[in-house]
Amino acid sequence: MSAAVTRIAREEWRALARNRAGLIASMLLALLVLAAALVSVERRNAIESERARYQASVDHQFDEQPARHPHRMVHYGQFVFRPLSPLAFFDFGVDGFTGNTIFLEGHRQNSANFAEARQSSLLLRFGQLTPAFVLQNLAPLLLIFLAFASVSRERERGTLRLLLSQGVDGQRLLMGKLIGHAGIALAIGAPAFILLLGIAASGGAEWGAGLLLILGYAGWLLLWAMLAVLVSASVRRSRDALIVLVGVWMVGVVLLPRALPEVAAVRTTLPTRIETEVALHRDLKEIGDSHDPDDPYFNDFKARTLAHYGVARVEDLPVQYAGLVGMEGERISTDLYARAAARTAGLEAKQAGFVQSFSALSPLLAIRQLSMALSGSDMGAHGHFLDAAERFRYRFVQALNQMQVDQIPNTNAGEDPRIAAENWKTVPRFSYTVPPPPGLSDPRVLPNLAVLGGWLLALVLLALPVARRLGRAAR
Amino acid sequence: MMRDAAIDVRALRHSYGQREVLRGLDLRVAAGEIYALLGGNGAGKSTTLSALLGFIRPGSGSVQVCGIDPATAPQDARAQLAYVPESVALYDHLTARENVEYFLALARAARDRGTVIDPALDAVGLPGHAWDARVGGFSKGMRQKVAIALALARHVPVLLLDEPTSGLDPSATLEFNRLIETARDRGVAILMVTHDLLSAVDVADRIGFLSEGRIEEELVAGAAGARFDLNALHARYTGAKVSG
Repeated sequence: MSAAVTRIAREEWRALARNRAGLIASMLLALLVLAAALVSVERRNAIESERARYQASVDHQFDEQPARHPHRMVHYGQFVFRPLSPLAFFDFGVDGFTGNTIFLEGHRQNSANFAEARQSSLLLRFGQLTPAFVLQNLAPLLLIFLAFASVSRERERGTLRLLLSQGVDGQRLLMGKLIGHAGIALAIGAPAFILLLGIAASGGAEWGAGLLLILGYAGWLLLWAMLAVLVSASVRRSRDALIVLVGVWMVGVVLLPRALPEVAAVRTTLPTRIETEVALHRDLKEIGDSHDPDDPYFNDFKARTLAHYGVARVEDLPVQYAGLVGMEGERISTDLYARAAARTAGLEAKQAGFVQSFSALSPLLAIRQLSMALSGSDMGAHGHFLDAAERFRYRFVQALNQMQVDQIPNTNAGEDPRIAAENWKTVPRFSYTVPPPPGLSDPRVLPNLAVLGGWLLALVLLALPVARRLGRAAR
Repeated sequence: MMRDAAIDVRALRHSYGQREVLRGLDLRVAAGEIYALLGGNGAGKSTTLSALLGFIRPGSGSVQVCGIDPATAPQDARAQLAYVPESVALYDHLTARENVEYFLALARAARDRGTVIDPALDAVGLPGHAWDARVGGFSKGMRQKVAIALALARHVPVLLLDEPTSGLDPSATLEFNRLIETARDRGVAILMVTHDLLSAVDVADRIGFLSEGRIEEELVAGAAGARFDLNALHARYTGAKVSG
């Protein structure tokens, strides 16, 4: 790199240091990133300990239930709480909207509840104060304000002509400006990057995820710094550069990321909860009704059960037949719920794919998905928790059904048959391990890094003709 | 017969769109010579400077600065010249010293304070207390002095001055004229584009009248006595009739 390039870059830093407004704004944003990071770490830890406490509390309450019929315990159910990933402090992602608690019971899948966005003030819906929010939304705006006049002001003041007359060509001048503002962009992200490195170094998070987050956000910030400098070099007046850049920010950061999910929802409609329930009820009825003595499916099930135990009548079974019917019903309904969930997940993936296909137009979509995925707070991570919870729900319900089968007498059980309270302690407990963060080759990581890299490459290519024009634009 | 020209412009033509600004300009300035280029608005003075600086690619003809074509090798040509623009643009957040140092650094010129920058600022008469003051508070004349100090500190063979005395008071103009005479005596070729007839008469070795894109008339300073006939020059410049 030539001495002129580094000198021009250093001069941009000196200009920023001596421009009180720019310096104060930059320091405030860096402090905001730091404050957001510290507050988010604290918040994540508080949520995590609260969830652990609630989980222990509901587990204890379950254990303390008196002697009961196991089917009553199937409906007493269990609450399970989703633990946060170590990097969730950086980007809470969809966590506030999807909910983090599921009530698990027999015969039905409940959606996650207690999303913070539903509980908190409306303000929360516009984004929590996390490093991701500040870096994704506010940092580009600051970079625009710091760089929109970086070249156009030289032209307006007349210093461009004087600079070029010293023998500096357009390429060196533009490269110096780009490096100067790239340095400023990275300095703005530095508090968050240092914190990520610190957490990784202390073993609080995986190095890979931390480094990929730093790489992604560095690319995102560099992209805005480069864009601002290039627009500034391409227009005659600083005012025009500011209008263009704020327009790009409004469309790319504010409008598209919010409008596209709405368009996706119209293009691919998800069934409502009631529609899903009605459809499942209809499907269940089609398979069979255990209460209908003439139902072909359950008549067949009865025949198979009697044959299995080598008896002729239900009353002769060594196990409780109603419990067996309950287990079969649970198996069928779980299968139907799983298929319905897979259909919904397919539709949601289609919606997400539609939105993501615009990431080349709005790279915020790329950095947002990358950030959520690496922070363990994206829909994929939420889906992983739902799958684990559903697998557990089936095991939990069937364990109770098995207790009914084994311990409740098949005949003459009395009016209020119960089993001992000690049984509840043997029922499986939900144990969820947060999945490891995705690696570089993950489809939620590499394509998004490629989008950011593609933008940077496109801007570098755009810089070549802009630099050539700049060298001759001083007449 | 002219010595080897540091600035050599031959049959230069240039147009902005349909408007032809230079129509066969011939201009040569030798080392150790001050050439004052006079002309009305739109005569092509600024376009001539742009061609010498390599900011435009002329339609036809040739331009050479110390034997280098600025259109094809602008950086090499610019390394041979220093330029003082009419409206001196400096960085307001930098001091006079810092401005000079920054531009010298970009020009890859020597920029030692004790031996280069301070003597240049001193030579142009900028008061010492202003050297470390930010130029944002400077008058036009003080800015002009900083720009000239920069040009002198470059120690290059060619100096291009665009309306250098515009905005200077008479005593500052005289000081400036002495400065460029010093530079000329060091062998620098100086092309001064100006409206300031008095200053041109005071220092120029030759005066060229630029009209409609070419040198219409060129006058050479007399060897002794009055260098130029000021009245005739004034009449020539303004188009007024000279009495007597």
